[in-house]
Amino acid sequence: MRSEEVLYMFPEYMRRRWMKAARQADRLQEIRLRVNMPSTVLIDNREWFVDTEGNLMDMPPYGADNKPEELESVLKHLCQYSIYAFADEIRQGFLTIQGGHRIGLSGQVILEGDNRIRNLKYIRYLNIRMAHEIKGVSEHVLPYIYGKNGEVLNTLLISPPGCGKTTMLRDIIRNISNGTIYGSGVNVSVVDERSEIAGSYLGIAQNDVGIRTDVLDGCPKREGMMMLIRAMAPQVLAVDELGSEEDIQALRMASGCGCKLVATVHGETLKEIENKNYMRNIIENRLFDRYLVLTKRNGCCETEGIYDKEGIRCSN
Amino acid sequence: MLKLAGIICIFAGCAGWGVSKIGEEQYRVRQLRELIRIMKRIQNEISYGKHTLPEICFIMSEYSDAPYSLCFAKIYEQADLRNGVCLTQIWQQQMTQCMRDIPLIQEEKSILIDLPRNLGGSEETHQAECIGQSLDLLVRRCRLAEDSYAGKAKMIFSISLLAGVFMMILLL
Repeated sequence: MRSEEVLYMFPEYMRRRWMKAARQADRLQEIRLRVNMPSTVLIDNREWFVDTEGNLMDMPPYGADNKPEELESVLKHLCQYSIYAFADEIRQGFLTIQGGHRIGLSGQVILEGDNRIRNLKYIRYLNIRMAHEIKGVSEHVLPYIYGKNGEVLNTLLISPPGCGKTTMLRDIIRNISNGTIYGSGVNVSVVDERSEIAGSYLGIAQNDVGIRTDVLDGCPKREGMMMLIRAMAPQVLAVDELGSEEDIQALRMASGCGCKLVATVHGETLKEIENKNYMRNIIENRLFDRYLVLTKRNGCCETEGIYDKEGIRCSN
Repeated sequence: MLKLAGIICIFAGCAGWGVSKIGEEQYRVRQLRELIRIMKRIQNEISYGKHTLPEICFIMSEYSDAPYSLCFAKIYEQADLRNGVCLTQIWQQQMTQCMRDIPLIQEEKSILIDLPRNLGGSEETHQAECIGQSLDLLVRRCRLAEDSYAGKAKMIFSISLLAGVFMMILLL
């Protein structure tokens, strides 16, 4: 990632303060802005405070607190002075900007009559998560997600948050789409509900998701999967973060249409996934041929194991 | 003979002045109509397309007439530089320059010039409604200008002719 990309996130008058952090763009993981608190950055899993001159410090600096109007101007700038255009995303608590970076938002919730979230106001906490596309991260799992005849196997990625599940999924999609030594390239459709996989901006994928990939951005998984099957006739369908019975129903329908599936779900182990009500049925019915479990050891993300449809480990 | 030529020249000059003033009034009505068209298009792009302000500028640069098309293109180009300059500032600067010679009163001009200041709405419907209020004002102004145009044109032309006659008498 280029340092300019970090600076682009801030209005002109704030850029000087972010110069030093921007120089570390490749290692920068997160920027947190909180009202009446100093800004923090996460570089190589280590937290630093940012003072008024932009120096990275161990301890909270004096007089470097973010003012409410500063946060508002950053948000306005990120939304290109058109907050209305991001209403749906803000309602879900995040927005995706050019480069695929994701901004988590928190403030005061406006509720509708039926207790549904209508919008957010007084957004006073921003968490800027830098998108880092790591090509080649899935190389070691590719032999396991192709069958004997080079066909893609239904694969489920299981991972706790922050373990690179989406990064892995993105790289798998790119490889399946472009083709590998294990199988030729096929048409892949991606339902990118939260714009995390392709990081689309103005409809254009900011991350490399392969030459045969179609992206449906910002669409709920259930509707998106059916829409793509009807419209784009994919050979492989990819979705991130299965989380409800509805998602599973749509997945079953997609599988019934002859599509191969690559999906991810939050979890630590295969056992834990089996215990989730909405997942139990598809695991018992052996919808997936491969389970890829990711884990974090000593702060590093790695593949814990790859399992077949019976739950038997097939990797070392 | 010389006097006759002078009289004709004075008369033609005064009538020409009248015609040009009428033309200005007509131009004002045309500009108000164009402004309404632009505002309506922006309102639609917000409510149906959910486009951001720079995107709207790009669209408007293709679908509006001069001098607005060039102005929208410039705003889009400057916003695309991503140098962190406030978009409201860019918009106001370019729009003020673009509308400098347009025969509209400041209050009418500021509806478009100050548009980004009113773009703080959190939802597209809310935002479109805000623009709708400015649009209503413009529509009222345009209707007023259209209604008074015929009467004003007659009055201006009569005054210009009378001025011609007066000057003619004065010279004779």
